[in-house]
Amino acid sequence: MAAPCTENNHKQGKLEFVLDVPFPSSREASIALQSLSPDREPRKGGISKELTVSGCTLSVRWRADEARILRVSVGSFMDHLSLVMETMEAFGPPVSVTTQTVSSTMT
Amino acid sequence: MTVVIGFEGSANKIGVGIVRDGEVLSNPRRTYITPPGQGFLPSETARHHRSVILTVLKEALEEAGLKPADVDCVAYTKGPGMGAPLVTVALVARTVAQLWGKPLLGVNHCIGHIEMGRLITQANNPTVLYVSGGNTQVIAYSERRYRIFGETIDIAVGNCLDRFARVIKISNDPSPGYNIEQMAKKGTQYVELPYTVKGMDVSFSGILSYIEETLFSMLVEITERAMAHCSSQEVLIVGGVGCNLRLQEMMGVMCKERGAKLFATDESFCIDNGAMIAQAGWEMFRSGQTTELSDSWITQRYRTDEVEVTWRD
Repeated sequence: MAAPCTENNHKQGKLEFVLDVPFPSSREASIALQSLSPDREPRKGGISKELTVSGCTLSVRWRADEARILRVSVGSFMDHLSLVMETMEAFGPPVSVTTQTVSSTMT
Repeated sequence: MTVVIGFEGSANKIGVGIVRDGEVLSNPRRTYITPPGQGFLPSETARHHRSVILTVLKEALEEAGLKPADVDCVAYTKGPGMGAPLVTVALVARTVAQLWGKPLLGVNHCIGHIEMGRLITQANNPTVLYVSGGNTQVIAYSERRYRIFGETIDIAVGNCLDRFARVIKISNDPSPGYNIEQMAKKGTQYVELPYTVKGMDVSFSGILSYIEETLFSMLVEITERAMAHCSSQEVLIVGGVGCNLRLQEMMGVMCKERGAKLFATDESFCIDNGAMIAQAGWEMFRSGQTTELSDSWITQRYRTDEVEVTWRD
């Protein structure tokens, strides 16, 4: 959900949006993270997002100056996320690997 | 034995191709065609690619008779091209690479065209004319780089032809350039228009009433100039505009005069396709390159000479 800044957010006037996406396994949540994080936001300023994985959940947190910019970025992300999930549905489950790395990235 | 699958979707074509040691096992493709008078925009193009890419991927595997386990490397177009379509394709490539546990390779689209041209024609070390809707470059290989000898200083020749087709509302099916070529065959009147070659480079913008003759003559001139500089006896034409038989004919005349050989491929390989990305990926993979997931971001600008060509001497 989107909320105006509170005392918790030291940047005055920033909007925030948080999305939690459950996956069947932490491996699949990681795969989604690695697929969705490399590309930079098309718009240089006014928006940032952070992707993290915790357990089986992919979390995305946006910070934006304007609602319009936030909406566009979140909308795009949802399209991309659903494509990744459809791909995993069609071509999964992932082959087994001996090690798993879970990482967080900032774009 | 090395099997590479390649994903391409930087403009309005979406293709997935599989290559095994110089053999194209499958190369299905779909084209997003807009109504006459309309070009294709990034978000709509991305939507089109998204709606068909998984189907095309399945087709590629089925036609090749392969399972994901048989693939050694997943190649995709890193750039150049339109942002939203590039991202759509990269997302699928990254995801299947991880699902299948295979290394990933980001490929330069122009180099995809060059490596497919070299594979299909077996040209040894040609001067390359790369002409498409998005690119116009004359390229020669030297010391681990595909050097750009000459290029358009504004728009690509294919873009010029596409915009001309839009103005006079020619159909975009199968492509505007193809329909211009068919109409031009019936033309009888040559109209003399400004001819803009500047040294090694060309300019196409602002003059959208060009007929093919002038555009193609300019391209033949700069290709010849590059050949003279490199003492080259081979020309390879790649890119969608390379399908044009008149361009091939005109280039052929120049080559004959110089005692040089002309190479061109047919429309399955001139026009953007997945196998060309797989082929360039095959060369790169065999010479030890892979792309880390965190470096796999797509880029709308990606010059042909930015890539270190580790697979050639």
